[in-house]
Amino acid sequence: MDTAEAQQQMSEETEIERLRARVAALEAELVEVQARADAAVAEWQDRAYWLDRLHIDLNAVMQRPGANQIRLALKAMRAVYWRVKLVSRRLRGR
Amino acid sequence: MRVSRPGGGARTTVSVVVPVKDGERYLEELLAALSDAGVDETLVIDSGSRDRSREIARAAGVELLEIAPEDFGHGRTRNLGVQRTSGDLVCFLTQDATPCQGWLDAYLEAFDLDERTGAAYGPHLPRAETSPMIARELTQFFAAFSADGRPAVQRAGGPTFLSNVNACYARTCWQEIRFREIPYSEDQAFGADMLAAGWAKVYHPGAAVLHAHDYGAAEFMRRYFDEYRGLRESTGHVEPFRMLATARHVRAATAGDLRWMAEHGMDRGERARWAVRAAVHHGGRRVFSALGSRADGLPAPLRSALSLEGRGDAGPPSANGAAGVPDGTGEGALPEIAAGDHIDQMLQVDDYEVIDRIWRHGPAPTSGPVPGMADRDRLRLAMVIPPFTQGSGGHNTLFQIFSRLERRGHACSVWLADYHGHMRDVWPAVLRHDINEFFASFGGPVYKGFQSWQGADVAIATGWQTVHAMLALEHCRARAYVVNDHEPEFYAASTERVLAEDTYRWGLHCIAASPWLRDLLIERYGASADAFQLGVDRETYRPLPVERREDTVIYYARHATPRRAVPIGLMALAELHRRRPDVRIVLFGTDKPLHAAFPYEHLGVLTPRQLARLYSEATAGLCLSLTNFSLMPKEMLACGLPCVELAGVSAESIFGEDGPLDLAPLEPNALADALERLIVDRERSARRSLEGIEFVATHTWEHATDEVEAGLRHALRERELAAPAS
Repeated sequence: MDTAEAQQQMSEETEIERLRARVAALEAELVEVQARADAAVAEWQDRAYWLDRLHIDLNAVMQRPGANQIRLALKAMRAVYWRVKLVSRRLRGR
Repeated sequence: MRVSRPGGGARTTVSVVVPVKDGERYLEELLAALSDAGVDETLVIDSGSRDRSREIARAAGVELLEIAPEDFGHGRTRNLGVQRTSGDLVCFLTQDATPCQGWLDAYLEAFDLDERTGAAYGPHLPRAETSPMIARELTQFFAAFSADGRPAVQRAGGPTFLSNVNACYARTCWQEIRFREIPYSEDQAFGADMLAAGWAKVYHPGAAVLHAHDYGAAEFMRRYFDEYRGLRESTGHVEPFRMLATARHVRAATAGDLRWMAEHGMDRGERARWAVRAAVHHGGRRVFSALGSRADGLPAPLRSALSLEGRGDAGPPSANGAAGVPDGTGEGALPEIAAGDHIDQMLQVDDYEVIDRIWRHGPAPTSGPVPGMADRDRLRLAMVIPPFTQGSGGHNTLFQIFSRLERRGHACSVWLADYHGHMRDVWPAVLRHDINEFFASFGGPVYKGFQSWQGADVAIATGWQTVHAMLALEHCRARAYVVNDHEPEFYAASTERVLAEDTYRWGLHCIAASPWLRDLLIERYGASADAFQLGVDRETYRPLPVERREDTVIYYARHATPRRAVPIGLMALAELHRRRPDVRIVLFGTDKPLHAAFPYEHLGVLTPRQLARLYSEATAGLCLSLTNFSLMPKEMLACGLPCVELAGVSAESIFGEDGPLDLAPLEPNALADALERLIVDRERSARRSLEGIEFVATHTWEHATDEVEAGLRHALRERELAAPAS
């Protein structure tokens, strides 16, 4: 084997090693992305526990006629309640 | 099906078929839209128009096929249309459905979303002259298929809806399924059939058409009559009808229409005019839908009068037309068989559909191996589990191990395969909570079904009910099978037994819960297999500081589990009681007290901590398994309780011939002998107790997890060796 052939072989081996390392890095990235996605879904499932336990699909509930109006009414009532509370607190000097 | 985008590589060709009868009103506009969209081929099938329809088709330069009116059939004519065209994709439009801008591109995109896409459909938008009731219904109906306004892929278990008003089919899918030759709803039947056959369909909001049924009120009613009659004939659906519910529905639907009209800027006068029409529309629809789905019980003249198509026939073709007809063989004395009842299709998807699919089409291909994938630190692991209840031993084993794999950094997810609907009322977040509550701490997501399947390095089946479902999953680099027991032995000769045996023959790498089970899988089924030893939770199961009694035999009498051989265990205890009436016998593991020929104390189902207390104070334990060795004797040993198990089954593979367990054949006297020895021979009992604690010390869940992880990597390595990467 002459020097040129040996150099070419070495260069190919280096390239293969580089590609292997790249594949390994991409694989690690894939697992990391999967793990993060899994964690996000699991966190959402933790939050949705009582909705799922009570078989409540909030999206379906909110699509029913009047649901959004009720939500807005409750929101308005809450705003009024907080306003009144704030004013009464100020009047009492607290 | 994957299609290539226009302009890139081999182009997908698209044909459009439009069945027409007296359709001059929109036909010219429709054909012009198709020409603008750039479809490759348009075929108009005219079945006896008396207006200008044929003239319009000829003028547009599209192919015209004329058939006699009596030759028309919704399924038959559409099958003919596919045969007479050549496109890779074949779209169907009705004569009053005009494609909107972007219609064709949307369909091309739809078939790119999933390799198994066999059909796609788009929304029907109301025309300007459409009544508000229909306009609202169309808009809301189609919006429900895609909450986020993006294309939605629908698979088995999802909606079967498909409408030939505006739909597109892959020719390959049609070749496999074909339209049924039924009087109506051939599209709905196709939708159900294709999903059951493993195809997917796509709803694409961009594949929209302008469409209207501009019937009068009476015509609408008669059309609903036809539609629901067709639905009954194709899917067996019977529309329920109750007066009070109908009244409520009419009120709510009319109120909904009025709101919709207000939102769309209609003035009060117009709304009031439409309110009456809306009430008639919704009420009439309920009545005529109910009548239509019960049409077979109506007199023929009435059926004919109510049908917009004038159909007076009795609906579903009789499946027993030849019954009782003389066969001309001259036998004469043959018994007559009364005509059988027609039974409608009752299921959209068979309980064993996934098994049928795997048997017919084989497993989904695995992803190509990646060099070194078996040795990566972190793997993507997806475990498919069968339904469970609290106290399920097999699930406890799985989650003790899976939770530890997760703690080692692997990305772990759990998928419930529940084809018989045992857990249909349990939603995913509750499943996840229950797994944490019943078995072990698991931080990953839990999915019901496989709609969100994302692929995995190793997909893991965990019971015979999960194997075929797992084989259908795509994007897996390897598949493994954690085998807790030889499950065919749970069943007498039955479908379940055959299916359980079938699971060992798909070349999955098995990870068996004992050396005995591993050897059985290799010898009987030729499977590739490793083994793991069940671990013991030493935090819970250890000798507790309570005085050990000298007169107490405890027995795991779980009568509901046949492999526990409880009747024989009770015979052995009866014999022991006959010999030594002073021995206190305690039964546990079952809710209801059992009828026994001896007095005993019944403790019911105990928690792990209560079990540890019981094991720490009893004199001897009895626990039998006719198949694979279970965890319970190990937990007894861990608490220092000498224990009797069956000889000649699986215990020897773990403890050896003369290990810390006392082994006896399945015979009452022999079992009673073994128990009596442990009670009488104090020195033997003390020695067994120490040997047991010492032996079980190495049987930890960490060690079991090591063995299972090695098995999973073995499965990946086998894939690498089977298909070496370049």
